[in-house]
Amino acid sequence: MFSTVLSGAVYGIDSYLVHVEADLSPGLPCFVMVGNAGSEVKEAAERVRVALKNSGIQIPPMHIAVNISPGDIKKLGTGFDLPVAAAVLAALGKIPKDVAAEMLFLGELSLDGTLKPVRGVLPIMACASKAGIRRCIVPAENKEEAELIQEMRAAGMESLKQVIECLQLSEEDRDKAFEAQASHLGLTKERRENKEGKPDFGEIQGQEQAKQAALIAAAGFHHMLLVGPPGAGKTMLARRMPTILPPLTKEESLEVSSLYSISGRLKKGSALMTERPFLSPHHTISPQALSGGGKIPRPGVISLAHRGVLFLDELPEFKRQTLDLLRQPLEDKEIQIARSSGFFNYPADVMLVGAMNPCPCGYYPDRNRCRCTPYEIHNYLGHISGPILDRIDLCVLTHKVEINQLQSSKCGMNSDEMKERVLAARELQKERYKGTKLRFNSDLGPGDMERYCFLGSKEKEMLEKLSYTMDFSARTYHRLLKVARTIADLEGAAQIKREHLAQAVCYRPGDLFDRYKTVM
Amino acid sequence: MENQEKIYQFWLHNLPGVGEQKIGRLLKAFGSERAVYEADEAQLGKIIDEGMARAIKLFSLKWDLQKEYEGLKEKRIEFITCKDKEYPSSLRKIKKPPYAIYCIGSLPPEKAPAVAVIGARECSEYGRRVAEAFGCRLAGRGISIISGMARGIDGIAQQAAIDGGGKTFAVLGCGVDICYPVSNRPLYEKIIDTGGGILSVFPPGSEPRKQNFPERNRIVAGLSDVLLVVEARQKSGTWITVDMALEQGKNVYAVPGRLTDRLSDGCNLLIRQGAGIALSPEDLMQELFVLINRKEIELEGNEQDSSCQEKDCTGERIADREEGVLKYLDFTPRSADELLSDMRRDGHQAELPWLLSELIDLCMEGKAGQVAGSYVRTCTKRSDVI
Repeated sequence: MFSTVLSGAVYGIDSYLVHVEADLSPGLPCFVMVGNAGSEVKEAAERVRVALKNSGIQIPPMHIAVNISPGDIKKLGTGFDLPVAAAVLAALGKIPKDVAAEMLFLGELSLDGTLKPVRGVLPIMACASKAGIRRCIVPAENKEEAELIQEMRAAGMESLKQVIECLQLSEEDRDKAFEAQASHLGLTKERRENKEGKPDFGEIQGQEQAKQAALIAAAGFHHMLLVGPPGAGKTMLARRMPTILPPLTKEESLEVSSLYSISGRLKKGSALMTERPFLSPHHTISPQALSGGGKIPRPGVISLAHRGVLFLDELPEFKRQTLDLLRQPLEDKEIQIARSSGFFNYPADVMLVGAMNPCPCGYYPDRNRCRCTPYEIHNYLGHISGPILDRIDLCVLTHKVEINQLQSSKCGMNSDEMKERVLAARELQKERYKGTKLRFNSDLGPGDMERYCFLGSKEKEMLEKLSYTMDFSARTYHRLLKVARTIADLEGAAQIKREHLAQAVCYRPGDLFDRYKTVM
Repeated sequence: MENQEKIYQFWLHNLPGVGEQKIGRLLKAFGSERAVYEADEAQLGKIIDEGMARAIKLFSLKWDLQKEYEGLKEKRIEFITCKDKEYPSSLRKIKKPPYAIYCIGSLPPEKAPAVAVIGARECSEYGRRVAEAFGCRLAGRGISIISGMARGIDGIAQQAAIDGGGKTFAVLGCGVDICYPVSNRPLYEKIIDTGGGILSVFPPGSEPRKQNFPERNRIVAGLSDVLLVVEARQKSGTWITVDMALEQGKNVYAVPGRLTDRLSDGCNLLIRQGAGIALSPEDLMQELFVLINRKEIELEGNEQDSSCQEKDCTGERIADREEGVLKYLDFTPRSADELLSDMRRDGHQAELPWLLSELIDLCMEGKAGQVAGSYVRTCTKRSDVI
């Protein structure tokens, strides 16, 4: 009495298919599970036994052996309860073996036989779909998520009893259970309308330069640093970034949703992430939490912010070790974590938005309020290492807002206007980088400069003069060009002009930081 | 032998726990430094307390007179006591002149007038520019600039004096062989190289202690003919120097500032109390002329410095649009947003991108500068400031 059913699991962020085999043979009655199962998987034996009993299935007093193959990968997670139960049921002959063998099972069981949702459904289904599997049985709450994969038809079940009944049906009747629900496609629309009470750039008064910088950052996916006194609206600005970012493309959305699915962070009723993630970890965050950690590392905050914004408020308060960890992911757009159990490559293509005070008291260069010594300022800024600073394209100073400005009704650009401009600039970039790996202007490498950031003789001359008066390095030069490219895109200009370069220079982070070094 | 006397004087000045007062008492009792050295413990004990006498004797055992004095020479340090004729006459005139002074480089020339330029360590952009302007132009006329080589105004004025081709003298609150603050190392070297000097009344090797600074400030005041305060808060160490100068009968000048600038509060207060108002270096020079006549010297470079006052010709021909932006710039850093709102208030239809590119153009022409993300007016010539 042998049977096998299909299931899937996640290791790191890679998913793979597993076969759950069950065999009932005469012998001492017991329930043995083998196949490199983690502790929570081993516990499945007891849950399955009781759940089966409570679903009205009598388990004969036999030796039951369950194997989960392949045996060389550690099995983790609670999703194996349902497949183990299904394999046992098939071995017992309670459900047809051939029916059970062609679909994928995933789900956690409670003792009374109810199915509970599990993590990582989306990536497992993507993997199964690639392997040619077309049907799956998942907990009802995971149905929507499983259906995100085209060609995959999912049956959402409430309990083990329901699963048994469904599988015992004739083929036509069974198909009904696998019909797609009112699809998630409608959801995105719904959510777009649900904008009441959302933050908006229109709420920010003054800070025109900072808003402009946010616009540029959003359009070109540039890293941005906001510097200013307390209460000037740095955090407010950063929190409004998601409102003007271009929406995720379909592939991006699946990618991000998978990551969230693995971390168990997909929100109920919104299976697919349509908006770019925005994460703002507190500055006490540990390096492991930021990068991803654990024996089998879970994606860290930087991976969860993939394709979105990683906002670090009070940047100098972060431990230097934590901040410096960002160096490599900011450059490579992925993070490699090595553990004794292997290497794990997690995606980490984030837009870094930092906010900080310019000095310990926060008011420099307003010498009326700031009495920090140059030494103190130097030390404070020293928390942010040069390499990190080097990777930030835009730096902008926010300033104290006067009360009369707050009371005026003029607010400048609001989020909708800004988003429109971002999308237009995004369209231009898409067109320009068609057929290449590049997506945003910030992706441009030094080798691409000549091709995409062509300068006229007048502009070249200006840059030369600027580099002489402002003394900047080769890296600064490239960054300047990238930002100028985005500014030109925002204005719909095909070529980078003088005024675009001039604006780009104003957002140079070097200026602020070099300054203190000379003050000393 | 003069040299012989010197080694005893140096010994006496280095005695731990023996300050100016005790030195005076010992010399009065024994007549000469040598006699003090040769006196035994009992004799010393009669003048100062016995514990101290014991300590002196113990110290003397370890002190190799000749070697220690030679050590000074190796470090290029001059040791001048009030008994030497090189001892600055200006210090002789003050109450309780210091017994000795150490110097690397040279002492302030007797015949040239000296101005002390002092001010806050954490200065504003305005203070920086004013200190530069005064330092440069006064030094350019052959006036010695005396200051404390501290961060901020002190150091800036001294650096400007060197840039202006003049001489400057730094009085330290530590030994002359110690550069404090360390960040002023380049300035320390330059002061020596350009014919100025590093002075101190504290023996070489003395650490910069808090209690040393009032004495340092007294010497700064003592060495100068006029005191100029560039920037000071209402509560500031600068006041010590001002009090000392007034005590010594020196004139004090202050650079006026805006009422809203806390860093100018001290200066404005000084003016209310009757300090001279320093509107330009010439104001100080007039005061100094009297002294100069007395000192019977000619100010160097009196004639040639007309070039310094010459207006920047290109400055007059700047295009109107730039005049527009430039008008809103100030010596205190202002952010682009502030500039923008000011311009709009005045009816300009300015947009941010336009303003930023204008600002960068000004920066490239050297008429404006970027300071920590904000913009300031700059001047290619220091004479443009005041």
